Amino acid sequence: MFLSGLITLSAITVDKPTGFLGALATGAEDFIKVFNKGGSVLLSLMGGILPTLIVLLTAVNALVRIIGAERIENLGKAAARPGIQWYPVRYILLPFVAVFVLTNPMAYTMGRFLPERFKPAFYDSAVSFVHPILGIFPHANPGELFVYLGIATGIKELGFGLGDLAIRYLLVGLVVIFIRGIVTERITARMMAKAERSA
Amino acid sequence: MEGFTNLIVKIGRGVGGVVGTLYQAGRDSVDTVIRNVIPFMAFISFIIGLILTTGVGDWIAKGLKGSASSLPGLLLISIVCAIPILSPLLGPGAVIAQIVGTLLGVEIGKGNIPAQYSLPALFAINPQVGCDFIPVGLALGEAEPETVEIGVPAVLFSRVITGPLSVVIAYFASFGLYHTSK
Repeated sequence: MFLSGLITLSAITVDKPTGFLGALATGAEDFIKVFNKGGSVLLSLMGGILPTLIVLLTAVNALVRIIGAERIENLGKAAARPGIQWYPVRYILLPFVAVFVLTNPMAYTMGRFLPERFKPAFYDSAVSFVHPILGIFPHANPGELFVYLGIATGIKELGFGLGDLAIRYLLVGLVVIFIRGIVTERITARMMAKAERSA
Repeated sequence: MEGFTNLIVKIGRGVGGVVGTLYQAGRDSVDTVIRNVIPFMAFISFIIGLILTTGVGDWIAKGLKGSASSLPGLLLISIVCAIPILSPLLGPGAVIAQIVGTLLGVEIGKGNIPAQYSLPALFAINPQVGCDFIPVGLALGEAEPETVEIGVPAVLFSRVITGPLSVVIAYFASFGLYHTSK
C-alpha cells in the first residue's frame, strides 16, 4: 500500500513538496529509489545470467556424473612423479582438471595422491584457479561468481564482448597457478629442510 | 520371448539411468543456484543500487580511480591483499574480492576506469584467494599435521611474491584488450 502509493504519486507531475513534510517526502522517495535501482539490477542479473548458468550447471553436472570423478585419479598419480617434465602436469593440468571436475572445495582432495612436500604447492595452485575458470566454466565455483562477474558486468555495461576478457583471465590464471605452484614448492622445501635441521 | 523381454528391461533400465542422472544434475544445479548464487546476487544488487543512487559512488570512484587505473595502484592493492596477516582475514567466501570486484565493475561501466584494466584488476583484488582455507584444503588432501604446520606460512609467504607478480603478468597480457582505434 505504502509503496504503491509512493510510486503513483511520483508518476503524476505536481509541485515539488516544500517544508518539513516536503523534506520527509523527498527523503522517502530517495529511500525507495535505492531499492528500486537495486531491484532492477537484480532482475537484469537474474534474467541475464541465471538461465544460462542453470542449464550449463546441469549439463556439466551430468557430464561429471557420467564420466565419474574416480577416473581422474590416474592423473593425480602421474602428477606425483619427480622430474621437471611433471611440473606442468602437477601445477597446470591437475589443478585445471580437478577444479573442473571436482569443483571448489572438493578439488583439493586430489592432493592426496601427491607426496607431502608437494601438497602445499598443489593446494596453492588449485585454489588460485577457482576464480580464473569462472569466466568460461562458472559451474566450478558458482558461490563466488562475482569475483569475475562484478568486473565483467562493468564491461558488459560498456557494450563490449566478454569472451576476450574470459579467455585471457583463464590463460593468465594458468600461467599464474604454474608460477605459484613452483614458488610455493621451493618455499615449502626450504622450510621443511630448516625444520628437519632444528629437529 | 524371454530374450526379448530381457532386452526391453535392459533398454528401460539404461534410459531410466540416463534420465535419472540428468534429472539429478538439474536438481543439484537449481539447488546450488538457490542456495549460493541468488542470495549473493540479492546482496550485490543492493550494493549496486546504493552506489548508483547515492553519493557513495562518487566517493568510492575518487578513491578507486587513482589506484585502479594505473599499474602501481593495482600493485599497491595486490600487496595490501597479500600481507600474510591480512590475507587470511580477507579470504573467507571471497566476499571482499566479490564486493571490490563489483565496485570496480560499476566504475568500469561508468567509464571511470579504462576497460583494459579489468584483467589486471581481477588479479589485483585476489592475491588472498584461499588463504583462510589452507589448513582445511590441506586436510582434504590428507596432509600430515607437520605438512600443515609448514604449508600455511609457505603459501602465505608465496602470495607476497606471486600476488604482485600475477598483476604484472595480467597487465602485460591485457595489451590489446578492448582496444579502441580512435
